[in-house]
Amino acid sequence: MKRNIKNVAVLGSGVMGSAIACHFANVGLNVLLLDIVPKDAVQSDKAKERNKIVNDALTKALKSKPSPIYKKSFAKRIRTGNMSDDMHLISSCDWIIEVVVERLDIKKIVFDNVEKYRKEGTLITSNTSGIPIHTMLESRSEDFQQHFFGTHFFNPPRYLKLLEIIPTPKTKPEVIDFMMDFGATILGKTMVLCKDTPAFIANRVGVYAIQDLFHTVQKMNLSVGEVDKLTGPIMGRPKSATFRTCDVVGLDTLVHVANGLKDNCPNDERKAVFQIPEFVTKMLENGWLGSKTGQGFYKKTKDENGKKQILQLDLSSFEYVQSSKVNFSTLAIAKQEDNLTKRTKILFGGKDAAGEFYRQVFSGIFSYVSHRIPEISDEIYKIDDALKAGFGWELGPFETWDTIGFEKALSVMEKLELKPSDWVYEIISNGIKSFYIVEDGVRKFYNLSSKKYERIPGTETSISLSSLKDSNTVWSNEDTHIIDLGDGILNVEFHTKMNTIGGGVLQGINKAIDIAEQNNNYKGVVISNEGENFSAGANVGMIFMMAVEQEWDELDFAVRAFQNTTMRLRYSSVPVVAAPHGLTLGGGCEICLHADKVIAHAETYMGLVEFGVGLIPGGGGTKEFALRLSDQLNNGDMRINLFREKFLTIGQAKVSTSGHEAFELGYLRDGIDEVITSRSNQIAFAKESCLKLAEKGYVQQAKRKDIKVLGKEGLGIVYVGADSMRSGNYMSDHDLVISEKLGEVLCGGDLSQITEVSEQYLLDIERKAFVELCSEKKTLERIQSLLQKGKILRN
Amino acid sequence: MKTAYIVGGYRTAVGKSSRGLFKFTRPDDLAADVVKHLMKDFPNLDPERIDDVIVGNATPEAEQGLNIGRMISLMGLNTEKVPGMTVNRYCSSGIQTIALAVNQIKAGAADCIIAGGVETMSPIPFGGWRIVPNSNVSKKHPDWYWGMGLTAEAVAEEFNISRQEQDEFAYNSHMKALNAIEHGLFKDDIVPIKVNEVFLDENEKRQERNYVADTDEGPRKGTSIEALSRLRPVFKNGGSVTAGNSSQTSDGAAFVMVMSEEMVKELNVKPIARLIEYKVVGLAPRIMGVGPLYAIPETLKKAGLKQNDLEQIELNEAFASQSVAILKGLDLNPSVVNVNGGAIALGHPLGCTGAKLTVQLLNEMKRRKQKIGAVTMCVGTGQGACGIFELLN
Repeated sequence: MKRNIKNVAVLGSGVMGSAIACHFANVGLNVLLLDIVPKDAVQSDKAKERNKIVNDALTKALKSKPSPIYKKSFAKRIRTGNMSDDMHLISSCDWIIEVVVERLDIKKIVFDNVEKYRKEGTLITSNTSGIPIHTMLESRSEDFQQHFFGTHFFNPPRYLKLLEIIPTPKTKPEVIDFMMDFGATILGKTMVLCKDTPAFIANRVGVYAIQDLFHTVQKMNLSVGEVDKLTGPIMGRPKSATFRTCDVVGLDTLVHVANGLKDNCPNDERKAVFQIPEFVTKMLENGWLGSKTGQGFYKKTKDENGKKQILQLDLSSFEYVQSSKVNFSTLAIAKQEDNLTKRTKILFGGKDAAGEFYRQVFSGIFSYVSHRIPEISDEIYKIDDALKAGFGWELGPFETWDTIGFEKALSVMEKLELKPSDWVYEIISNGIKSFYIVEDGVRKFYNLSSKKYERIPGTETSISLSSLKDSNTVWSNEDTHIIDLGDGILNVEFHTKMNTIGGGVLQGINKAIDIAEQNNNYKGVVISNEGENFSAGANVGMIFMMAVEQEWDELDFAVRAFQNTTMRLRYSSVPVVAAPHGLTLGGGCEICLHADKVIAHAETYMGLVEFGVGLIPGGGGTKEFALRLSDQLNNGDMRINLFREKFLTIGQAKVSTSGHEAFELGYLRDGIDEVITSRSNQIAFAKESCLKLAEKGYVQQAKRKDIKVLGKEGLGIVYVGADSMRSGNYMSDHDLVISEKLGEVLCGGDLSQITEVSEQYLLDIERKAFVELCSEKKTLERIQSLLQKGKILRN
Repeated sequence: MKTAYIVGGYRTAVGKSSRGLFKFTRPDDLAADVVKHLMKDFPNLDPERIDDVIVGNATPEAEQGLNIGRMISLMGLNTEKVPGMTVNRYCSSGIQTIALAVNQIKAGAADCIIAGGVETMSPIPFGGWRIVPNSNVSKKHPDWYWGMGLTAEAVAEEFNISRQEQDEFAYNSHMKALNAIEHGLFKDDIVPIKVNEVFLDENEKRQERNYVADTDEGPRKGTSIEALSRLRPVFKNGGSVTAGNSSQTSDGAAFVMVMSEEMVKELNVKPIARLIEYKVVGLAPRIMGVGPLYAIPETLKKAGLKQNDLEQIELNEAFASQSVAILKGLDLNPSVVNVNGGAIALGHPLGCTGAKLTVQLLNEMKRRKQKIGAVTMCVGTGQGACGIFELLN
């Protein structure tokens, strides 16, 4: 029978349980979230009192930031209850996940209870990070054992993509196959199949890496701040780097895992690394566990002037001190390089103490992961995937090793007495020069057992632009690549800094449409990229230059080019599908607004944010909002209220916190645009959608001339609203100027009655307002602030 | 000129809007119930002899639209022969209607009129569903269209009313109101209203709930100056006007019966009071809150009375900032103002308020054996109203 999951029971509503429940709700599942009855309510017959623990936990989770839920209303998919009264409800669930406290005896009691109600064949999993999965099998029924395995989510489960799956020898293979697919497609996770070894894959290596740095920091006499500068984005790791991450996770949690590893891995050649250093023990004694106790490696305070400052712990004096500037020549050089691959080489080859640090740290990791094969994984890619998805590393250890150069790294490792495992020498003797290769547009890993490069399982249907780039590029310029995705669909990929949009990107988009329109082999265009963000918006630097030089005609021309490009997305003879993810702001948002269809990733933060730099959307965004408002109106609607909503969305630069929320804000269209949870499947799905539009028979749309604008009827509320915000000190004089301009464009000017206008009419007044705002001194100050300090100035 | 008397009057308890006592009760039903109750006091009065029903309402649209005054005369009087009209002067609507009734009778155009007001703010957003300011006026005088909160901030600033003064005033309002409720001082004012709610339970089964609403629900027992001082300003960044020192949005209805001297004699009815004088003044809309600062003296002057003659005053507490500005500006004796609390504690059902305060004032004056009292309020878009009553023995 086909397995299907619609109803899920989450047992245990702690931080992880509640957040997991929220993520299940995110993807549309019905969730039953249960916890115990509070001690003082055991005698009570009131559900409110008996469900207090679970309800409080869920409320707290929903209030936490960043939010565990895509859209507030999705929380209604979660039903709460308690394990004394509501356990029978699990009989209608398709998957039961246990997330109770990490104690085997307690988990056993829960499982005893589960066995009373669980329907045969239902998936039952444990979300443990430390307890060996097979130890939970004792005294369980045969059916339970066959459907039982570990599912290890990472906190926060909405945002961290890793889901480790740990089968036992008893688990049916069909059950694991199902979950690997379900987790990837429905939950949007990077699935890593693990062995039942201590801490599985990600934590084993990730906690090793942190512990290793704990020791290195002392050995090399570095400060907390220095290590975080060295181990952050510069080496492709998260902003929170090492010590800030410890503060967020909680030092106690970390030490708990490290101790577990020390005790349970007697044969680990580097087990000494798991020894807790003295300064950590001292911090634990002091209760300096990190954010949850108010201080850890860092402490937020205020200086004598009441200004917020962050102090760092001096590991020798044990006092919180001002952080000093971090000066390493290697860092300074590496900062100039945007490309991580090239940067990593610079770091590894550094001639100063920082270079020494990187060689030590990288060699340690490379050696460690080589020795973990086959202990924790038979394949190299699983270790890379786990670290990338679970710890936010941009490159996994083996990938980094490839970047530096297989043999180059090896010689350094040997010098530092961090020799890798024997199999590394074996494959070298077989002539292997890298762990991964790209062959015919497909990325492959070296399979140690078959001794061949093979496609990574699970990637058969997904599209990787970086792998296709070498073989399938049709056209490129400095800012874009047009890549043939096959089946007649082209993809425009931007790769500028922050993926901002300037002349080069516009040229690339137009070129892709040209090619698709003129060449019989092509049917449609997808706009997507593999950067951290889809696009941070238009290149305001260029606008700034023209405005400073007072080149108004040139500026008008440039804005017109942007408008013409977005209009072309809609009015071309081929379908155009945009596939945004991450930040999709300003001009990036405008591109999506004009696509025939948008396939947005669930984590898409979309918004028309031009207000922040003293402008209004000028690439057709304001026009499009007027158009959508007109389409939204029915006879008898209170149009002024809908108008106000659109006005405020741009006027307050609202950004969606998820793809789903982008519908509420009017950036995505119900019934046309779609959201996909899986990032790895997004481009393939966008391509499919584009192909479908083409094959259904795509006809170039007729130009619109029927956009109803409110004219004077809407202007009154614009002026009153803007003045009230100004008088209430919620905005500045300049905000007032921008608000009025925005309102005037959205209303179509001071027309005496509601009038049907064309898109071009609106584009012309939008552009005029945009250029006029560019001539305002305060707008230029705002742009300058963003360019120089990366900060939004409210002047 | 003829003489007109107020011969009876009632109000509903005041419910919190959107979540309170009357969130399921339509304004026409609520008002009709008060009118029916009022009629019981006059068994000898043939309803068809009532000349008019005049209803104050500040947002006459949606549930309150369709000339709600006429609907109330139909629903409340069991006859089709009595007409009805709706009057809007925002927050003084409920006393404006009484003044209109009095003047009609004085002029000899009528002998008996039911006048008052109703407002249920639950179903209708503040200001109405569709606010369309004149674009030319908006550009030149945006403050003519300001929300009331901003005007309260402007008053606080221009009249130097501190946050602390406002919070203390609000706290006292709650304490006085709680005391009044505890001692049953509003019992004579209030018409108990039967409320019926039809809803679906968790199994989507139709259920009914019935209850009687007879107690004001606005006053907060647990409040303290500390609690009030912790609230954030809601209308202005860095301002001083909070949800705690502003009036509450509310649902309520109140009506009085006004009769000519002739009819009073004929039906052998005991007159309660007469309206000596009523006046409305205009001022800058941005500081509408201080309307009474001008309305009170001008009305007194017209009535030939002095401020000291006012033994009791019901000053509508739209905001603590404007109330304090008036108390200080006119040097009013705080102990004669809002003796049983005001709108900050008890609620402010806009178009009903004038009639509601009249009912409250007359009953309290009777209890205190006083003779002269006033109802006064600020009115949106820069107006102030004041009515002075004489209680008869």
